[in-house]
Amino acid sequence: MTCDDCQLNISLYLDNELAADAAASVDAHLSLCPECAKIYEDFAVILDSCKLDLPAEPLPPNSQALWCRINNIIESETVAAPKAEEKPRGWLSRGFSFSQVASAVVGIALISSLLTIVGVKNYFEPSGEDYTSRSPATQTTFEKVLSKVGLIETPQQARVKRFKEQEAAIDYWNKRVQARRVQWDTRMRDAFDRNLNEIDQAVTEYTMILEKDPQDDLSGEMLDSALNEKMNLLRAFSEL
Amino acid sequence: MARSISNFSRKMKARRTTILILMNVVLFFAVSANDAAGQKRFSRTYPATKNVRLQLLNRSGTIEVQGWDRQEISISAYLEAPAANVVPQSLSGTIVMDLVKENQGRNVGNVNFQIRVPRASVVDIETRIGNLSVTNINGGLVRAIITTEGDITLTNISAIAVDAQNGIGDIFFDGELRTGGQYRFTSMKGSINLRIPFESSFKLVATAPSTRNIDLGPFRGTNMRFFSDGRRVAGQAGEGASTLTVTNQRGAISFIRR
Repeated sequence: MTCDDCQLNISLYLDNELAADAAASVDAHLSLCPECAKIYEDFAVILDSCKLDLPAEPLPPNSQALWCRINNIIESETVAAPKAEEKPRGWLSRGFSFSQVASAVVGIALISSLLTIVGVKNYFEPSGEDYTSRSPATQTTFEKVLSKVGLIETPQQARVKRFKEQEAAIDYWNKRVQARRVQWDTRMRDAFDRNLNEIDQAVTEYTMILEKDPQDDLSGEMLDSALNEKMNLLRAFSEL
Repeated sequence: MARSISNFSRKMKARRTTILILMNVVLFFAVSANDAAGQKRFSRTYPATKNVRLQLLNRSGTIEVQGWDRQEISISAYLEAPAANVVPQSLSGTIVMDLVKENQGRNVGNVNFQIRVPRASVVDIETRIGNLSVTNINGGLVRAIITTEGDITLTNISAIAVDAQNGIGDIFFDGELRTGGQYRFTSMKGSINLRIPFESSFKLVATAPSTRNIDLGPFRGTNMRFFSDGRRVAGQAGEGASTLTVTNQRGAISFIRR
């Protein structure tokens, strides 16, 4: 019998479930092989410990009486110990220095101010598209104050920001158009150039008006519209 | 002798004239045959559902859409050489044709469409270059867009929403403004002429910043005001039951009584 065969049969051997000749073989192997004998011993110890009738969890002799005693002790201590009178203590007497208190107050004030500003800004700031079409005339007084302080964008600033975004998009589409226009026929190229030229003239016109009078909201609106037209034209022709 | 010479020259002249006429006839037929060979015709008819929608994006060429009383859509296209691919798709009541996508990167000739649809159809047509014309439609939407050059003519329209845009070219609208409707006409350069009934009810914002040429026609003197040095007119006619927005960047705007 090999060690593997023996170890497979150890459990059955311990339970006396092996046939007589198999049990004799295991017995013979165990007497010769110290390694398998050790395993057999370990198994036997485990089996014995399982068979032991362990007592239940130890309980105090009279648990209810013990609990009553503990309860009585707690109650008697609570009654006996008079409450020590607490003197009113100031911030400084609690271990904070004056500078710590002052910095805490300043910190709280700063945080609350910032939260208020952020809240107000979020509440009053309309979406980008709305804001470009707004004018100082349609701004509320509060918005005007906030924009003067620099906390929110003025309509002009919002407009400039939007124009920059549009110009970036125009650059992108223009590159695609330049790559594709060689494939167009002459008629298509001429029509495209004429229309682009027309839009560019409008853009130049409105830009000049806005340079002279940044408050001219109608020109701002028309410039926005012309730049959109340009973007749409480039995008449409980049697909041809 | 002189007489016989004169007869001979007369005969020669007559023969020369005959030859010239014959050459012209031959040339005419040759050119006609060439034209016929260079142009293909495409024709299809589809049954229309109740809510039919025509969606056509052309690359170059004219589109004429006409409403009729039959419950079917008839599409005829004339394709100039080199012929474009025209592949209409019928998707649950919508006829879709996208010639830009189907001919991307190809140099194709004009495709001129003549389409008939039920009057209550939604018509959404667009072309990069070419004229657009829509007639006799009273459905939910008429959208006509020309990316660059071409005229838009919308006649006898009573749709709930109309959107007409072009680059260089005229826009002419002849129709009714329905309650709750939205109507938008936008051009870069050209004339925008709107022919609507005098009793129309709408809120108007009309802007012509370059020309300041806004002729209110029959609506002059109603509740309309000029703003920004005459570059914009805003106001209301009647109860203001629909919205009308007209913008002509470098052209004129006119209202005409229908």
